Amino acid sequence: MTRQRQLRTLLSSSSSSARLRRTLNPSNPNLPIEFAAKPPSPSLSSFFSPSPTTYSNNHRLLPGRGLDFLGNRRLSGKIFLSSQSARELDSKCWNCNAAAPFLVCSSCRCIQPVDQSVDYFQIFGLEKKYDIEDQNLDGKYKDWQKKLHPDLVHSKSKKEREYAADQSARVIDAYCTLTKPLSRAIYVLKLEGVNVDEEETISELDLLAEIMEIREAVEEAADSQALNQIQSEMQEKIKHWSNLFANAYRDRNFGEAVTAIRRMTYYERVTEEISDSSRNTRVVDNGFAARMS
Amino acid sequence: MAEPAYTVASDSENTEEEKSSSTFPEIAIGIDIGTSQCSVAVWNGSQVELLKNTRNQKMMRSYVTFKDEVPSGGVSNQLSHEHELLSGAAIFNMKRLIGRVDTDPVVHASRSLPFLVQTMDIGVRPFIAALVNNVWRSTTPEEALAIFLVELRAMAGIQLKRPVRNVVLTIPVSFGRFQLTRIERACAMAGLHVLRLMPEPTAVALLYAQQQQQTAHDNMGSGSEKIGLIFNMGAGYCDVAVTATAGGVSQIRALAGTTIGGEDLLQNMMHHLLPNAETLFSTHGISEIKAIGLLRVATQDAIHKLSFQASVQIDVDLGNGSKINKVLDRQEFEEVNKKVFEKCESLIIQCLHDAKIEVEDVNDVIAVGGCSYIPKVKDLVLNVCKRQELYKGMNPLEAAVSGAALEGAVASGISDPFGNLDLLTIQVTPLAIGIRADGGKFVPIIARNTTMPARKEMTFTTVHDNQTEALIIVYEGEGQQNAEENHLLGYFKIVGIPSAPKGVPEISVCLDIDASNVLRVYASAKHRGPHQKAMPSMEVRMPTVDDGHGWCAEALHRAYGSTSDLVTVQKKI
Ligand SMILES: [Zn+2]
Repeated sequence: MTRQRQLRTLLSSSSSSARLRRTLNPSNPNLPIEFAAKPPSPSLSSFFSPSPTTYSNNHRLLPGRGLDFLGNRRLSGKIFLSSQSARELDSKCWNCNAAAPFLVCSSCRCIQPVDQSVDYFQIFGLEKKYDIEDQNLDGKYKDWQKKLHPDLVHSKSKKEREYAADQSARVIDAYCTLTKPLSRAIYVLKLEGVNVDEEETISELDLLAEIMEIREAVEEAADSQALNQIQSEMQEKIKHWSNLFANAYRDRNFGEAVTAIRRMTYYERVTEEISDSSRNTRVVDNGFAARMS
Repeated sequence: MAEPAYTVASDSENTEEEKSSSTFPEIAIGIDIGTSQCSVAVWNGSQVELLKNTRNQKMMRSYVTFKDEVPSGGVSNQLSHEHELLSGAAIFNMKRLIGRVDTDPVVHASRSLPFLVQTMDIGVRPFIAALVNNVWRSTTPEEALAIFLVELRAMAGIQLKRPVRNVVLTIPVSFGRFQLTRIERACAMAGLHVLRLMPEPTAVALLYAQQQQQTAHDNMGSGSEKIGLIFNMGAGYCDVAVTATAGGVSQIRALAGTTIGGEDLLQNMMHHLLPNAETLFSTHGISEIKAIGLLRVATQDAIHKLSFQASVQIDVDLGNGSKINKVLDRQEFEEVNKKVFEKCESLIIQCLHDAKIEVEDVNDVIAVGGCSYIPKVKDLVLNVCKRQELYKGMNPLEAAVSGAALEGAVASGISDPFGNLDLLTIQVTPLAIGIRADGGKFVPIIARNTTMPARKEMTFTTVHDNQTEALIIVYEGEGQQNAEENHLLGYFKIVGIPSAPKGVPEISVCLDIDASNVLRVYASAKHRGPHQKAMPSMEVRMPTVDDGHGWCAEALHRAYGSTSDLVTVQKKI
């Protein structure tokens, strides 16, 4: 396999959790110019979500509304970053008028419409910071789902059931985003108003060279042990860059932070690829039947 | 835009609206339709109770016999002898046949059953018939299942002293959406309204969640998260789930399933005992049917005995000159079915992998289903999971139906003063859903094991200059690279793509699975030029394919070639 092809395979994995455009030496006309399977463009996707993009707040489309959601995403991002405190002060329970109802009203337990000014950290009652590894996200996630999941609100009005579906979906989004270091990193930057521009060209040739070396190592790996070895090296690197990200973020050095995110993205992609390729024991449902046919 | 043609599923959506406004919620019953046997359970106000038929059976054989003109099923009918089931007059294994086309290897393997399963091998539904007064009378798996469900419904109605309408049904993990519509159709024919179709191991997971919550409650503990691995192997299907449970919430981490089960073990053994069985039985004459029946009963019996003893003597006279006299031991049985057992192992490994859980982090390993009594199956589960023993406290045959009954009560809005119904299952998609693009490849948009409800979108572009149309062909499957290897869900065309060089137009495809597990596909084309003009978008509820879907994809390919293909976008600088 040639290097370009390796690179291409590496970069174009559509299952990758984040996307980066990559330009190779433009003087070589044989090289494909753009590798990445195109994710939803930033205006369409919710910025915090892995590719392909996850929920929007208004996922429950009514028949006939067509692709309204495509337009709304951009809007929601803006609302998100806007006057948070003002909205909190203003908000009242739609049912009992109690103040500051959050996701569910504490007075009457009615589920509230999604308030985009509540960020994911607030949902989980966390301080807005990158380093949350030791927090019990899972317990809080399950608590919310027991209050919000659409399966549990059948006795409520249609309106409230729709709120439940939206809120529950947003909690799922929040949980997924905050659980994984990479998506969490992208998200905290987003809260600072820094979009990791996935369309931007990267010019770090040393990273490219490194990626190709890793790729070769993966290709040449003789057994699962060798793959595991590479896998744990990648985990080390991700951890390393995650730490660098944490520092850069704390120092508000967002340039460094974005660099760290790019690195993490590449290493994540390699681990995903190894993990996919090592599944040669995939069970498919259509190939099997008893011998007597 | 108008909804697509009327489907049973849309009917159920409407009736749910009605139901929620009712003041006296009817508790939905849980039904576990097994390939071989079936059971019904309901929340009785304080616990789950399995219902019994008039012969005091909790487990009823899943079959329908047509021998007396008026068909009757295994709920009410009393078999005079096992051979009656195998006379050709009874249809069974409905769950293995439903929603499959005649090119499916599972259907092919069913041709050696005593009733008639005829295949044309062209991708249509197989011809299925029962022998009534020396005439092959045609029926369908849906019809047979519906007849059986009518009996179940009547039985439950008598037991509960009220009409029964709402049900939670368990289904195999590997069932595609088309198969689900067939199950819903059968239920609708039987006058049943499906509240939920629940993958079998997730029903077991809910029971596990309840038990863990109970334990935590009794110990006054906070009830930390427990990881459970559920292995469920019945006569027709083998499923695995990994669940993370705490506080009565079961978050499914991953599902894996395939069409292997006791039926495969049985057929492999029959073939082993009588290698020319298929040619012998292919004509389905009266004496051949009798011979199949005799062989089937003898083999079944032997396999059953091998669960309790090391070897078994088989003596059977097939009546056509061939006799089988043989001592069969466990080792031989395991060797003949080596591939089945290997498949089971890889299914567990795959599920753990997809759940991103190390086997050491699993708290409990739960094995249920009829095949969990087979020593080899128990061993392999323990082995892969590196355990000494399996989870205790569940009846392997009653776990799935009990979970379905719990879900039925929860879904009916019933609460329990002791918190025993303070439960929730957060499901994931068992199969990936995506479209055909990049030259006949399956491009998943919603990956397997995505938490539901889910919505994902992806952008594609044209492959030809000035391509104004694009076919959106939606598939579902385990993610096989080649689109054709997945299950077709439906297709439609995007027209009026603005003329532009290839790779310029953006076609956005969005898949949405809502809280009721309804799949909608949205697609629209837009132009990226300065004079961007909104194009009308499409909204299609799927599956739209019906019987004969096996050759739709091929026909589309013949008609369109690659002229309306799409690729994932690869932008120019
Ligand atoms: Zn209130």
